[in-house]
Amino acid sequence: MTTLNINHKNYELDLKGNETLLEVLRDHLGLTGTKTGCEESECGTCTVTVNGKAVLACITMAAALEGDRIISIEGLAQNEDLHPLQQAFLDKGAVQCGFCIPGFIMSAKALLDQNTAPTREEIDYALDGNLCRCAGYLKIIEAIESAGQQMQAQKDQPQSQEVCS
Amino acid sequence: MSVNTTNHKAKYVDPVGKSVPRIDGLGMVTGQTKYAFDVSFPNMLIGKMLRSPHPHAKIISIDTSEAEKLPGVRAVVTAKDTHNIKFGSNEYFFPHTIDQMAIEAEKVRYVGDELGAVAAVDEETADKALKLIKVEYEKLPHVVDVEEAMKPGSPLIHESLNNIAVILPVNFGNPDRTMKEADYVREDKFYAPAAHQSAMEPHVCVGQWETFSNKVTLWASSQAPFKCREALAKTLKMDLNDVRVIKMAVGGGFGGKLEMLPMDFAACMLSKKAGGLPVKICYNREEEFLASRRKHGMIYRIKSGVKKDGTIVAMTGEVIADGGAYCSYGPTVLAAAIMRIFMVYRLQHFRITGYRVYTNTPISGAMRGFGGVQAGFAIESHMDMLAEGIGMDPVEFRMKNITGPNMTTVNQMKLTTNGLKECIEKACAAADWDKKRGQQKHLKRGIGIGIAADVMGSKMYKSHESAGSIVKVEEDGSVYLFTGAADTGQGSNTALSQIAAHELGVSYSRIKCKSGDTEITPFDTGSFASRVTFISGNATILAARDAKQQVLKVVAEELGVNQEDLDIRAEEVINTSDGSVLMDFDKALTLAYSFNYGRQIIGRGSYNPKTTPIDFRTGEGNVSGSYGFEAQIAEVEVDTDSGEVTILKMWDAHDIGKAINPQSVEGQIEGSLAMGIGYTFLENLHFDKKGRPANGNFAGYRLPRTMGMPEMNSILVETNDPEGPFGAKGMGEASLLPTSAAIANAIEDAIGIRIKELPITPDKIIKALKEKQEGDKS
Repeated sequence: MTTLNINHKNYELDLKGNETLLEVLRDHLGLTGTKTGCEESECGTCTVTVNGKAVLACITMAAALEGDRIISIEGLAQNEDLHPLQQAFLDKGAVQCGFCIPGFIMSAKALLDQNTAPTREEIDYALDGNLCRCAGYLKIIEAIESAGQQMQAQKDQPQSQEVCS
Repeated sequence: MSVNTTNHKAKYVDPVGKSVPRIDGLGMVTGQTKYAFDVSFPNMLIGKMLRSPHPHAKIISIDTSEAEKLPGVRAVVTAKDTHNIKFGSNEYFFPHTIDQMAIEAEKVRYVGDELGAVAAVDEETADKALKLIKVEYEKLPHVVDVEEAMKPGSPLIHESLNNIAVILPVNFGNPDRTMKEADYVREDKFYAPAAHQSAMEPHVCVGQWETFSNKVTLWASSQAPFKCREALAKTLKMDLNDVRVIKMAVGGGFGGKLEMLPMDFAACMLSKKAGGLPVKICYNREEEFLASRRKHGMIYRIKSGVKKDGTIVAMTGEVIADGGAYCSYGPTVLAAAIMRIFMVYRLQHFRITGYRVYTNTPISGAMRGFGGVQAGFAIESHMDMLAEGIGMDPVEFRMKNITGPNMTTVNQMKLTTNGLKECIEKACAAADWDKKRGQQKHLKRGIGIGIAADVMGSKMYKSHESAGSIVKVEEDGSVYLFTGAADTGQGSNTALSQIAAHELGVSYSRIKCKSGDTEITPFDTGSFASRVTFISGNATILAARDAKQQVLKVVAEELGVNQEDLDIRAEEVINTSDGSVLMDFDKALTLAYSFNYGRQIIGRGSYNPKTTPIDFRTGEGNVSGSYGFEAQIAEVEVDTDSGEVTILKMWDAHDIGKAINPQSVEGQIEGSLAMGIGYTFLENLHFDKKGRPANGNFAGYRLPRTMGMPEMNSILVETNDPEGPFGAKGMGEASLLPTSAAIANAIEDAIGIRIKELPITPDKIIKALKEKQEGDKS
């Protein structure tokens, strides 16, 4: 049995060993928020974080992640509270078809967790692996900048730090 | 009573014209929204399509016996399981172009053509089964290049003479005579390549057959679930109400998900043969490029004569559209590529002939812009060259020739509200055109313009293009909107809910929207031709109005007042004669569902725009209920050492009638520009000698990414169209039409070179610069 820590919970999984993290999330655990866009590491719709870093679930072997901290889009909202990124994507109109959005939010989370005030160049670099065909990227970038400010504001208020961890 | 009563009333704002949050956004940012890709059932089988390895061959025999014996295989489908019925998309205008079989029986016409399908317990077994099917082919000569395909003696892909499925002569006035009267004449040839919609969600479906009742359900990623149902019912030989198509959340369409594909038929038929087990077929990215739909590559030859004062007196030309193996929407795409120009420019003497040509390549169909993107590049580049030829500013030249309000075009399109002039003026003012044009050559910077117009709706279903809506108000005042419209990400569920709330006079927070389920929602032809806000929006107004009158009737009876004097505004039933408040909306609903009345509030609306379909023998017809317009400006900087072009900024002024949701409108404009930038610089789906995509994945077919995405300034011009819902027009496509030309025109302004073949790559720029230098020397 393989134990994977996904969205703060441990899952005991009977794996053959050749399953990708994407297959485990979607097919074994029913966590379909992580999307399948190309399965060849080009589109970024399957982005999750592993130990805080953005990772493409379609080319990551699940069995190798024992002991790692895996977060998918479903693990972002705490209780009833949206993560600032989720709220900002809604507020700024960054969502159209929504299919690429979980991947964008996870890539952005990995970035903002390190740096809440990234430059446009740093955002471009962090999102270079994520494709969006609907929205033209500008509102996505705006949402990320806005969420960064929100996360910084929360950091500056120690009592609400838990929300953005 | 609703626990939210006070909330709805306290929070009330008129939602029309406000950037309210998307009605379906919460599920999308939390990963809860279910797309067809996420549909899963216990015992669900995985289906795979059997594809031709040959570009052109006769099918001599198919032996599926070994595949059927493989453990884990549950069903195999071939042409034997079809009713030998062809499907296609232009049966109203071009019935002879209905040319594709649900599963091919006699001949394959491109690498990837479907001649069977299997369903098995898992993907691995399905793949193995495909390899066990023995097909005997008789290879036929094939043709990939579109101009080769038109030559006499080329291999015939269907029965059409010289592979020309449709010849479309569009002819008005006497351009040969007026061309002679011109002061300046020039002829240009442009090429706009094939491209791919590349929605982030690939094509996917789940089919399930109900064995004894013989009904079938298809969970689909569809832009047009009712069109899909119609094609399924036809090819399966079933009644419409035996076929249920459920549109899940759709991960983008852009024209690629407008039609039934053989996979949809196969999923249903495999499920039938597998005793009713559900069958899921997911395209991988390679299949997406190979066997979905693509944009037509077009050769556009155009010759125009102008007077010294800038008036265009004649235009002639020829358009050759590379159609691939089947017709799909090709004939009407071709028509749109030729006839859109009448919405933009006043032309009286015109003759452009279009050819929609078969090749042994993937099938060309609809892609956002519907032929207008290829035409936009050609025409708007050509316009700049004409202006240059007579030494006129390109903006001044366009102003001389554009259409205006309340004008009937030469082909009988009735333009009513028309903000084209205002769009050009506003875009130019915002971009500082007069100061920049021709003034930044020393910086290798330039500015260029392109203009466009678009329909909102176009007859593409069999017999009408109507939309239906139902507004159902529950006893607690919560509201359901049922619409057949298919939100594919553009935000139509949100806009239609805003429209319903406004017309009903209640808060947007009361509305829940259910869309695109052929068994539950009213009919709608689908998401294409920028039609949904306009056509489905009008249907929704009618449904909400009907529901409102039903509520008011109860109130009028109860209070003994005139129903005609009553209205619902801002959550309150009021008497319009004196402005007095009679009761809250909730109270009115409690009354309607009380013992005395017991009246269900079910409002219905059906809207069919007042149009006349184009008569393709004459080219005449008022195809749309209104028309949208726009002007776009690009400012670029060119690195003449590397050939790299940087877009500094883009401006887009768009006559959208009235913005129901300004943020969504901006999103449509920005998304269109990004797609246009991709088509200008990166996207070029090309084919190898066997007609296969040579770059059919995201590593080879490059889409625009965040990097280099310029600042965009959206300017919303509101002309308040009298026929539009609260003045609104459709606007999902027009912003994409002139982008490539605006950029090409800006490059010309910057460094004096003209690129006539997309995509504009650094090597083309360097080559053109060298040619220019040599030309300057000699």
